[in-house]
Amino acid sequence: MSSPRAIRVLAALALLATGACGKGGDPRIGAGSAGGSATAGAGAGDQRRAAVVAAWRKAGLAPSELVAATVPIGDDCATGKVSGVDVAVCAFATAALAKQAEERGLAWVGSTTGMAQAHGTVVIAAADRAHADPHGKTINALMKQAPAAP
Amino acid sequence: MRNFTRVLGLALLLATAASGAAIGERAMRQVHYVGIHPLPKSEGKGICYIEGPHVHVYAADAVQYRDHDGDFYFVGDPVAYGYEGPRFAYQGHHPIEVNAVVGVGSPDEEWCYLTGPHYHNYAPPEDPSFTLTGGAYFYVGTPPPVYLEARPAMLKINALYTPIVYERPVVEVEAPSAWINVRYPVAVVVVPEPRAVVEVHVPQPRLHVDIGIGFGGGVFVGGGRRHHDDDDDDDGYRGRGRHDNGKHKGHYK
Repeated sequence: MSSPRAIRVLAALALLATGACGKGGDPRIGAGSAGGSATAGAGAGDQRRAAVVAAWRKAGLAPSELVAATVPIGDDCATGKVSGVDVAVCAFATAALAKQAEERGLAWVGSTTGMAQAHGTVVIAAADRAHADPHGKTINALMKQAPAAP
Repeated sequence: MRNFTRVLGLALLLATAASGAAIGERAMRQVHYVGIHPLPKSEGKGICYIEGPHVHVYAADAVQYRDHDGDFYFVGDPVAYGYEGPRFAYQGHHPIEVNAVVGVGSPDEEWCYLTGPHYHNYAPPEDPSFTLTGGAYFYVGTPPPVYLEARPAMLKINALYTPIVYERPVVEVEAPSAWINVRYPVAVVVVPEPRAVVEVHVPQPRLHVDIGIGFGGGVFVGGGRRHHDDDDDDDGYRGRGRHDNGKHKGHYK
């Protein structure tokens, strides 16, 4: 079908396009180093996340199970949904490191309505990617109800 | 050769599409807000109830927002846009301690230039510069020079609210003599087709003005019950990305 030359040209062009578009597009750029030394180890935040989820349930929100995930906020993160809103809850060794991670939380939110806020040693990021929360009431509630993790 | 041309065309098409998507992503940059604010028509109207610092991918307008540490803060009347929640009636111009209202950021006093009776979703600080009279808060303190300097430009917010039909507070008391809009009267503009009669009774200096406007500098206001308007004109919406110039008129720290 295609000549070897054509395949080579196609491959070269694809490589160029990937390289050009990839600049700044990798959401994990800068996240590894920031999160790597900052967290208390994978899974160490489970208890803190459980406290957050319990507070949400108590407030009448409907959180799904949070599942460990690789996100560009930190190394000890889990994601899920709260009443249709995407959430990521990441644990850090200190409150200062959690505060620093807010910006990375907003990067995770991306091009939609959202918020990222440190609550003690955890950062909660919420993104309304499905437009399930047009007036922000769920995001407001889940941020206000989350306890400050020690 | 024909195959080569076809493959080349396909590759160029893919590359164009990829860069187009990237441009699209860049165009959807986050705009930083803090506090509740109206939603633009494109987002379905109404109110965004997120109180903390948050992001959207639409801009804020130049008249109803101020800069608070790089975030857009709404200084208008949320009830005009359908806000449901605790509300506090104000009469005339007054300062807003933004950091106290939103609970974050550096000390930041902004000014509300809504001339008539209006609502906010917060009470003023417990301070002798505010007095609660007839169910509405009147600012009776001494404004800083920046208030008067910025006022001519900032008064245009009133033109934005005049056509909005909604339930405004009804204030039927005589204004305190120290009220800011007694000591620093606002020029009154008479519009051709009045929506309500506004009578102004000012104790000292003596002044009696009868004007016909929907939203004026009055104290006695026959606003009556109104309904939410469908038109929350978002013309003039501005700004992309973090709002960090901090140079808006009326803003000082």
